[in-house]
Amino acid sequence: MPAQVSSAGRFAMSERTLVTITINGEDKQVPEGELLIKAAQDEGTYIPRFCWHERMNPVGMCRMCLVEVDTPRGPMMVTACTNNVTEGMVVDTESAEVKKAQEAILEFLLANHPLDCPVCDKGGECPLQDQAMAYGPGESRFVEIKRTYEKPIPISDLVLLDRERCILCARCTRFSDEISGDPLIEFKDRGNATEVNTFPDLPFSSYFSGNTVQICPVGALTAKPYRFRARPWDLKKVESSSLQDTAHPRMEIHASQNEILRYTGVDNDATNHGWLSDKARFGFEHLRSDNRVTEPLVRRGGELVAVPWAEAIDMVATRFQLVKDEDGGEAIGVIGGANGTNEDAYALSKFARVALGTNNVDATVGDALASHFLAATVDRACISDIDDADTILVWGPDLKEEHPTLYLRVRRAAQELGKTLVVIHPRATGLDDRASHKLNYRPGGGFQLLDELAEGEHADVLHALSANKVVVLVGMASHADGPDLAESVAAFIRQKAVKTLILPLNSRSNTYGALDMGLAPDLFPGRVNVDSAGAAALGEAWGGEPAGLPGRDSTEILAGLDSGEVRALLLVGSDPVRDMPIPSAASDGLAGAEYVVSIDMFVNDSNCNADVILPAAGFAEKEGTVTNVEGRVQKVNQIRPAPGQARADWAVVGDVALSMGVDLGLGSVEIINKEISEIVGAYEGVTFDLLEWEQREGAVIPVDDTRVISHIPIAAGGKASPEAAFTLHVARTMYDDGVRLRESPSLHPLAPGAVVRINPADAPSVGAQDGRPLRVVTSQGEGEFTVVLDEGTPAGVLFVPFNQPGGAHLGTDPVARVTPVKT
Amino acid sequence: MSAWPEATQERARQIISRYPEKRSAVMPLLYLAMAEDGHLTEDGMAEVAEWCGITPAQVQSVASFYTMYKRERTGQYLVSCCTSISCMLLGGDDVLHAVEDESGVPHGETDEEGLLSVEHVECIGACGGAPAVQVNYELIEGVTPEKARDLVGWLKDARPSVVNTDEMQELFGGPRSFDWGIREEEGAVGPYPAFQPLGTVGKE
Amino acid sequence: MTTLLVTKRMVDHPADSHTLERYQATDGYNQARRALGMTRDELVEEVKASGLLGRGGAAFSAGLKWSFLAPARPSYLVINGDESEPGTFKDRQLLERDPHQMIEGIIITAIANEVHHAFVYIRGEYPKPARRVQAAVDEAYANGFLGKGIFGSDYDLELTVHLGGGAYICGEETALINSLEGLRGEPRLKPPYFPAAKGLYMLPTIVNNVETVSNLPHILAMGSGDYAALTGNEDTGTFMMSLSGHVEKPGNYELPHGITWRELIYDIGGGIPGGRDLKAWIPGGASAPWFVPEHHLDLPITKDDTAAAGSMLGSGAVIVMDETTCMVEAAERVIRFFAHESCGQCTPCREGTTWLEMILRRIEDGQGRAVDLDLAVDVSDGISIGLGWPPKMTTICPLGPSAVSPIKALKDYFIEEVESHVSQGGCPLKSAQPVGSP
Repeated sequence: MPAQVSSAGRFAMSERTLVTITINGEDKQVPEGELLIKAAQDEGTYIPRFCWHERMNPVGMCRMCLVEVDTPRGPMMVTACTNNVTEGMVVDTESAEVKKAQEAILEFLLANHPLDCPVCDKGGECPLQDQAMAYGPGESRFVEIKRTYEKPIPISDLVLLDRERCILCARCTRFSDEISGDPLIEFKDRGNATEVNTFPDLPFSSYFSGNTVQICPVGALTAKPYRFRARPWDLKKVESSSLQDTAHPRMEIHASQNEILRYTGVDNDATNHGWLSDKARFGFEHLRSDNRVTEPLVRRGGELVAVPWAEAIDMVATRFQLVKDEDGGEAIGVIGGANGTNEDAYALSKFARVALGTNNVDATVGDALASHFLAATVDRACISDIDDADTILVWGPDLKEEHPTLYLRVRRAAQELGKTLVVIHPRATGLDDRASHKLNYRPGGGFQLLDELAEGEHADVLHALSANKVVVLVGMASHADGPDLAESVAAFIRQKAVKTLILPLNSRSNTYGALDMGLAPDLFPGRVNVDSAGAAALGEAWGGEPAGLPGRDSTEILAGLDSGEVRALLLVGSDPVRDMPIPSAASDGLAGAEYVVSIDMFVNDSNCNADVILPAAGFAEKEGTVTNVEGRVQKVNQIRPAPGQARADWAVVGDVALSMGVDLGLGSVEIINKEISEIVGAYEGVTFDLLEWEQREGAVIPVDDTRVISHIPIAAGGKASPEAAFTLHVARTMYDDGVRLRESPSLHPLAPGAVVRINPADAPSVGAQDGRPLRVVTSQGEGEFTVVLDEGTPAGVLFVPFNQPGGAHLGTDPVARVTPVKT
Repeated sequence: MSAWPEATQERARQIISRYPEKRSAVMPLLYLAMAEDGHLTEDGMAEVAEWCGITPAQVQSVASFYTMYKRERTGQYLVSCCTSISCMLLGGDDVLHAVEDESGVPHGETDEEGLLSVEHVECIGACGGAPAVQVNYELIEGVTPEKARDLVGWLKDARPSVVNTDEMQELFGGPRSFDWGIREEEGAVGPYPAFQPLGTVGKE
Repeated sequence: MTTLLVTKRMVDHPADSHTLERYQATDGYNQARRALGMTRDELVEEVKASGLLGRGGAAFSAGLKWSFLAPARPSYLVINGDESEPGTFKDRQLLERDPHQMIEGIIITAIANEVHHAFVYIRGEYPKPARRVQAAVDEAYANGFLGKGIFGSDYDLELTVHLGGGAYICGEETALINSLEGLRGEPRLKPPYFPAAKGLYMLPTIVNNVETVSNLPHILAMGSGDYAALTGNEDTGTFMMSLSGHVEKPGNYELPHGITWRELIYDIGGGIPGGRDLKAWIPGGASAPWFVPEHHLDLPITKDDTAAAGSMLGSGAVIVMDETTCMVEAAERVIRFFAHESCGQCTPCREGTTWLEMILRRIEDGQGRAVDLDLAVDVSDGISIGLGWPPKMTTICPLGPSAVSPIKALKDYFIEEVESHVSQGGCPLKSAQPVGSP
């Protein structure tokens, strides 16, 4: 089955019937019930507009899209954004009265709009400016004094509001209410005094605030990281997909003089509908950080010193070769590769198998679902299947925190499309207000809840899950939930629903592509088992016999380093000390390693003692393909050179291999991509050419391929939820202390920090007070956290966001105790 | 975690029970919040948000749409002078000026003591008895500039704890839009309408 | 003397017409009881046959409106008591002086439409009418006329009294529904939000005016035929008119349709004080295009005759202006109202009404320019294309186009007066008075 090149999901969708309407004297076939403004646009007639946005409900407020429609009582003025086309509709978008109305509306809008275009960020890409030129009266007859407001007010940490520029189109307020579910910016006052504003001291602290800047049709909302930094006509632009969101939302990269200045969302039916989370939108600052590693560094006398590339490559190759010669490839481990491109991952995978001779490769760091479940779930859902489901089950991470594009998609399905939504999580999540059913469980007690469901408890939830079409988004809600739970949940729902589609979730962005490229101890590129015939065939194509037994995963590699069974480690864009749930496992392993090489953009907590650090090119500094959470392959593109001597991962490992006497044959991304499309079965035909096209959907890799392994569902049962005064819920938040966020000055301060959320009812018994420190102790870690009293955290549960600035790691043991801190 | 006294909370619960969806109770609860604090405070709006399950920004959006939710400090007596067309034709502007002059409070403002607020308002539905004035929304029809001055003086001196429309009409009014019937005893105790649903009126 | 219906009780019993005791002593609640024994179709047909038109301003057939109610359940009934249009004070009298009559009308409407929860939305500035209505509602509950099993039947009916917050626009039925949902009182788009299909909480909803439902007990009591026969024309029944401004006897009058404006102003209203001349009047509330004696004094007061002359009876409010009235100031005052009450959601109304107010204020204050009247007319044209009647609106609701009516009057009848404001640098009618107003 060839890769699926469209936005359509796996649930069948019906075709829309067409009707005939007449636009300016010409008959057009348009989908029945389509909004007139959209139908006309699709047929080549642009009707000017400000308030209408294709992804939000029409409000008909700006009145710019007035057209004349014939009625039995003669032609009527109607707004094209609020009227649906019907058979035989006759529309005039250019009559004298329509032109009169357009001129009038523009004059009204400009009456109070300042003429500060030369200093306005929007100048040059401003719909008001453009439409005033195209449809406006030419001059204003408004001689009165314009409305003025106090100059700009920060409505959030990232967004500023200039109220006098606002034309009250309600795009931002609708976005916050209808799309992101944070109705924190609203209209205030009325009539001519109407403005957009927040409640005093309650900012628009939304993970999606930047979208309002992009959809603002004037320069009323501006983004702090971009404000006054460029003029649109000076910007160089390329399209790409964000790697800071597992759905890989489509976006444009805008740069000037090799400096990236902003990302803007691109509307893509298949994934993001044009929206970006703020983490994705503003996630470019780390690329221009002064802390980038720009030269190969080797440790000499305890210090890292810069050396020429050739020297560094030779050193690394020699050492790896030595270990391989003495103890075999199994004495070498490779961790990482989930943050780069598929081409990087493929080269790394081939390098490990062919040059190093090891299956000790893992793109995940002990916090992920099993690789075969992530990569090879046969009934994997497409994102767009969420729209067509009868019931959506989210049993896994809080999507708002970890999978923002999926969060928006599920939210829309529940709110706008009326889908039944079931949310199961240890505490409150961002989707709860739209959930038809919500169950909380004690961290680590997921199997117990699954048993209850299997025994027929929670009848309303079971009923909802017994629907015709159910999409299940499963992942690890908490470090206390092992990877088995998600597979069991999937297996359980498959028995309940008529048709089930599964979307297994993992938070690191190109994990899916990395696993597809074989960066897993048990998988070869193309999702084939290392010990299968498919792997053998691939090995043959690589000109060797690298297949064999599954290697070590990250945890096992690090344990091997600690015990001495593994001697050398290659870290590729990975920071296990920060990312592993039990950090001591990572730090002990790294301390015990004989030789550590890191390919990275930064010095981080894991590679700071490495023997060699090789400078890596970052996102937008290289091109390639990436694979998102649903198996969709899209192209990412380069807009600037990597700083200093930094190079793409694929090029680095290729040179190391060559120095070890192995030619991987991967001399350019084009060559690598071609090799993938030729010899990696599932990626057959997915070439750059296929992905370089006008539409943005990309190609979905098929999962019902015969080479795909099928996994055996794990039966529910057996595990009881832990008996403890407090069970600990450790989970990721959107902003944390990861190195790329640490190097992003606009985003890093938004991390919640070292806090523990506790139900107010629990607080008195343990002496917890809001804003005061509390000591949390588990068998695997302990630390002090600032108390946040939180109704969203159930009694008996402590919620500690993972990997926070100043926050200790507490491990995966959900049994916790707390002690007050004397101050 | 309501900051309201239990009696007010009970009233809030009763009001919410009168609507199929609790958000519908925003407007009556805003009056309740005003009665608690004398005007609509940020705390009051945040409290209403809690009761109705919406954000404070949404409450502010609603409250600021309507003219009667006073978000700034308002006097014990809110004197509203109608200057819409019918009242204007019969001297409503002069009545307003008389009130401003006698009280020393320009329209749109409140005196330092917090006793009087003066505003000019659009039509209050007393056109047949123009010009009309309201004190805490209790109506007086057929007011002259002289009577308006007397009204201000009376409010300053007598400081009635409850303002009653019949009493003020008798003292300061003139021709009415229509016969008012039996005298009513209820009245307003602050710059908000003396009405809450559920058989409960002004007196506290 | 004409037949009085909705005001009869308060005329006959001025002291206590609002009490339950008086109401029951004068045939009260008998028609609600009777309605319980009638089918929905019978009730709708009876009201259709009566020709009862909505009294809120749009003058749409009440029976027809009921028959549109989508069959989905539950559905709601909302009584519009948000009377706020300058010149209008009739509902205030009905609410304050005969609340049980309205409640009985609500019960009949509810039964006819199988509604089990009704709301009365009373404007916030009407606390006394609200108190009277609430007291009457409390009495009705106490006597089993409202609540579970009304009048001993198995029919349940809840009635909630809701107070507005000070916004004229909430008199527009979809804005009123938004307001009742706890939202800003912004009118909804039609389509798709026709209340009969997607009203309160997106469920089918009937919105009727206070006066409209107050007529229902009388229609049932006298029969639709007799009700329709009260007038000799298509506008059946009686009609409350609020008379204000420069007349000797302002007040509410319940009248049959068809008398002339001359009769209303001079005979019923007692003419202009001081024997001064009539200059202009607004025939149907501040929204309506103005009439002048030269053209309109002998027109009959009917829906169709008024429409043919380019105006409307609207809410039945008649504002009379004598020869001493400055037309620029009167126009400014009416426009100021609409600018103040504009909800602000749509551009032409939000920006246009304020702009018009600024232009007129400037002319009245002596800062007018020769081009200003043409400018005001053109600005008006952007709100109501062609300035025709009924207006060709560029707006969501009729509020914006309402602000155009005074400009139209200035253009059609008072150009010279505007020009003299400009040429004399101020108002020629009050040059002796100090300038300035709120």
